[in-house]
Amino acid sequence: MSIQFKSIVELRAMLDEKSISTSELIQESFELAKKYKELNCFITMNEESGTKKANAIDQNEKGSSWLSGIPLAQKDLFCTEGLRTTCSSKILSNFIPPYTATAVQKLEDAGSITIGKTNMDEFAMGSSNETSFFGNVHNPWKKGYVPGGSSGGSAAAVAAGIVPAATGTDTGGSIRQPAAHCGITGLKPTYGRISRWGMIAFASSLDQAGPLARTAEDCAILLNTMSGHDLNDTTSLSSDVPDFLENINQPIDGLKIGVIKEFNLSDLDPQVQACFEESKKAYEALGAQFIEISLPNISASVPTYYSIAPAECSSNLSRFDGVRFGHRAENTNDLNDLYIKSRSEGFGDEVKRRILIGTYALSAGYYDAYYKKAQQVRRLIKNDFDHAFQSVDVLMTPTSPNTAFEFGSKGTQNPVELYLEDLFTISSNLAGLPAISIPHGQVNSLPAGLQLIGNFLREDQLLNAAHIFQKNSDHHLAQPDLGDF
Amino acid sequence: MTWETVIGLETHVQLSTKTKLFSRASTAFGASPNTNVNLIDCGLPGVLPSVNKEAFYKAIRFGMAVGAQINQTSLFDRKNYFYADLPKGYQITQMDLPIVLGGSIEIILDKLAKTINITRAHLEEDAGKSIHDEFDGFSAIDLNRAGTPLLEIVSEPEISSAKEAVAYMKAMHQLVTYLDVSDGNMAQGSLRCDANVSIRKKGAKELGTRTEIKNINSFKFIEKAINFEIKRQIKILENGEKVTQETRLYDSSKDETRPMRSKEFANDYRYFPEPDLLPVIISDEEIKKIRDEFPELPNEKETRYQKEFGLSAYDAQIIASSKPMADFFEAALQKTKNYSLLSNWLIGEISAYLNKEQIEIHESKLSADIVAMLINRIDDQTISGKIGKSIFEEMCANGSSPDEIIKSQGLEQISDDEAIEEIILTVINENPAQVEAYLAGKEKLFGFFVGQVMKLTEGKANPKTVNNILKDKLK
Amino acid sequence: MDQETVRTICYLARLEIDQSKSEKIQKDLETIIDLISSLQTIDTSDVEPLYSPLEMTAFMHEDIEKSDNKKEKFLENAAASNEDYFLVPRVVE
Repeated sequence: MSIQFKSIVELRAMLDEKSISTSELIQESFELAKKYKELNCFITMNEESGTKKANAIDQNEKGSSWLSGIPLAQKDLFCTEGLRTTCSSKILSNFIPPYTATAVQKLEDAGSITIGKTNMDEFAMGSSNETSFFGNVHNPWKKGYVPGGSSGGSAAAVAAGIVPAATGTDTGGSIRQPAAHCGITGLKPTYGRISRWGMIAFASSLDQAGPLARTAEDCAILLNTMSGHDLNDTTSLSSDVPDFLENINQPIDGLKIGVIKEFNLSDLDPQVQACFEESKKAYEALGAQFIEISLPNISASVPTYYSIAPAECSSNLSRFDGVRFGHRAENTNDLNDLYIKSRSEGFGDEVKRRILIGTYALSAGYYDAYYKKAQQVRRLIKNDFDHAFQSVDVLMTPTSPNTAFEFGSKGTQNPVELYLEDLFTISSNLAGLPAISIPHGQVNSLPAGLQLIGNFLREDQLLNAAHIFQKNSDHHLAQPDLGDF
Repeated sequence: MTWETVIGLETHVQLSTKTKLFSRASTAFGASPNTNVNLIDCGLPGVLPSVNKEAFYKAIRFGMAVGAQINQTSLFDRKNYFYADLPKGYQITQMDLPIVLGGSIEIILDKLAKTINITRAHLEEDAGKSIHDEFDGFSAIDLNRAGTPLLEIVSEPEISSAKEAVAYMKAMHQLVTYLDVSDGNMAQGSLRCDANVSIRKKGAKELGTRTEIKNINSFKFIEKAINFEIKRQIKILENGEKVTQETRLYDSSKDETRPMRSKEFANDYRYFPEPDLLPVIISDEEIKKIRDEFPELPNEKETRYQKEFGLSAYDAQIIASSKPMADFFEAALQKTKNYSLLSNWLIGEISAYLNKEQIEIHESKLSADIVAMLINRIDDQTISGKIGKSIFEEMCANGSSPDEIIKSQGLEQISDDEAIEEIILTVINENPAQVEAYLAGKEKLFGFFVGQVMKLTEGKANPKTVNNILKDKLK
Repeated sequence: MDQETVRTICYLARLEIDQSKSEKIQKDLETIIDLISSLQTIDTSDVEPLYSPLEMTAFMHEDIEKSDNKKEKFLENAAASNEDYFLVPRVVE
């Protein structure tokens, strides 16, 4: 039986029933990766080490945990000791980290096997996976179309059934939006839920790691393992980690779902709207109640984000100077020359743009007008959410204003065009709230995603609502044709 | 034209924590290059800082000692700039909400006291070190020092001369060593300062253009650098020209300051709150504990030494002024009760020895135990003061105990009346001419007889006993 | 946004832009600044900035040594190093 398109739950059953061995499972995963090489979802494969671990697991026939022997793909933003980590950038094209990110370590300690590192937008900056030094990732549903970004490679690998799940990171929507465009499930947890140690920083107060998988249930399994306080990351929550599977089957009668007035869904593509209305009906049929909610400052989310994220990234990326690691330019005259040439050669255009905007927003004379102002508006946005959650349990929006688009069709003339892709996802990063995207239909044969935003620390509620929806629908079971690859 | 000097000092004190400000790498001096470097200190992608509690406690102790306001909520900020020894491309420091605000230090110069106010003191991480001249065409970078906790103390521009600056730095040095905030080892870079110097016409209200002399690490150089700079600026102003605002370095080999290589663009540090660190809150309990465990300061010790141990004001001041000396004194007091003899020795023989060897008391081989023993042996007349001095030499060389030395060299003082009487009689019998001369009135010859007795007893005769018996026999 | 400002922020960020791309970059930056300037119309008087979504305070660690012992790995990753130091073109102060 092929492992392609199987969920973790299904693979676990196969392994436990011994209908497949761990080695066979891993081998097939590698073969699928090779078969669908054209998708370009992987930058580095982990064949030798992965195979070894699979064999070892087969030898030790001890009681298995959920993730024992399960193949996973890791976004190439997570440091993996001894395994190249590039952030899809030329400046790190040969970087071998001397340590492993906590989130990945936890998954590996739980028995999972890292198949490889996935392609992404350079340094997580992008919404289409078109800024990678290693080339674009194809959307498995349509060749030449974007998978979404920045976790495009992870989303494509899961959507194509090469792995049941992958890790991603989400700073403005980078897990949810590619999950939506690729027809899979992606979760951004509460800020601080998962340790950022070893996660190469883009925007420190917004970045969060999370799972991409075929189902909400699988996301819960991964979240259980990845979460927890880490002494190495003092911004990680010390709150207890609940078992996210425990109440996932609870009926959702009486669940109060808010629809955001200011998002003017009637301005959207009618087909996207139609999908959304269908999902509303589906939730109503499951017992949920819809309430209109006002978040007066929500339309300021995109400008707020694009003041804060570039500012933080401009500082976080200063360490890429060619001195201690990474690309160093040759034939430089002095230290400054070394910095300028190494960084200019090493970074792509989008990264440079964001560093420059960030530098500008923080510079003397502009700090109050841009950075500080944005952080003040951020508080207003968060306050709006806090207020909303007094009357609803979750909020619902489409994940993205549109579905996947052709390579090069957005943002080439005007970068802001691509920024607006994040319209619905960005605000939850600003407020640090958890949010999930689940497939809920197709528009012109391309997947569309539905987003649920939850209250602080309430991933359980999101997973429950998502899981019940998936139990009663089959959108998440759709599989791409892959004939063109 | 009378000119007035205005000086403000920024002192960087390296805290004596065992580990760095944001990582648990060791801060031990003298490690081989790049060994006291953890992932965080190397500024690798994906690393995050974590705050060292002890650094805050030390900063707070300092703040309490200078009567400053302690900000129980403080924040960290990033100061962004590029330099080879700054691994992350930014320094984590405290800009908006430092841990300590205000306070003051009293300096005494020529018996006059002056208060210098402190603007603020904050925690920040030190940079690594670059070595420019050892490797052909390359500069070498050692990150051992990167991340070491610094307390940057900024004074108000209230210092008026190089001598005052030195007095301020010395007072600062005494304070931070006393408080166990820093080891104060200037040769190792534990205490350094940047001096902001400007000149204005006497009586003028506005400040003149200032220059900043960076990284001066000895009292001597502070005085020389500032004096050079004052002269230089006065000369410029007297020529009717303007002083350029710039950063300068002091070159001790030429005894001059010169401008640092000018940069094309002024540095805009783009400070913003450090997003990887949450606000630091120090609880009331922690504040109370620090206050309760506050060490005794020099002036408190001075008073106590005079009151409890009957030391003179002068002696008390000398012993209390150096923490190693004060610690030594107090440890020795556990083992001896002859306070005045102990303090005489500390201020006399022992200080003379330490000065000669250019070391501090805790760097010598002398322990409080053996010095106390020496005092006791003189006090209980086992040995004379004179013998004590020769034993002391050996104690300094080997750290051996007086009892050991006395025993191995048979140096016990002879106090036995009969034994001394016998020797005195021998001396009297062997020197009849001097006896006659003495009895005839040459009183000075008394010393001769004492000398002879000492010679025969190898200096071990109890001088008092000798005097008494000799007087008696020479009637 | 004038050329002078672009030059300054490029230097602060240690980046240089190709002559061929500099006009587009300037235009892009202007567009993005227009976007973020739209926040000016929002009233934020008396609003505390939100620097982190967590209402938490710092966890601080004890002053106990724990060395990573990775000197060789650090030096290995550098483009230029010897067995003790990272090396860069000679800096003149």
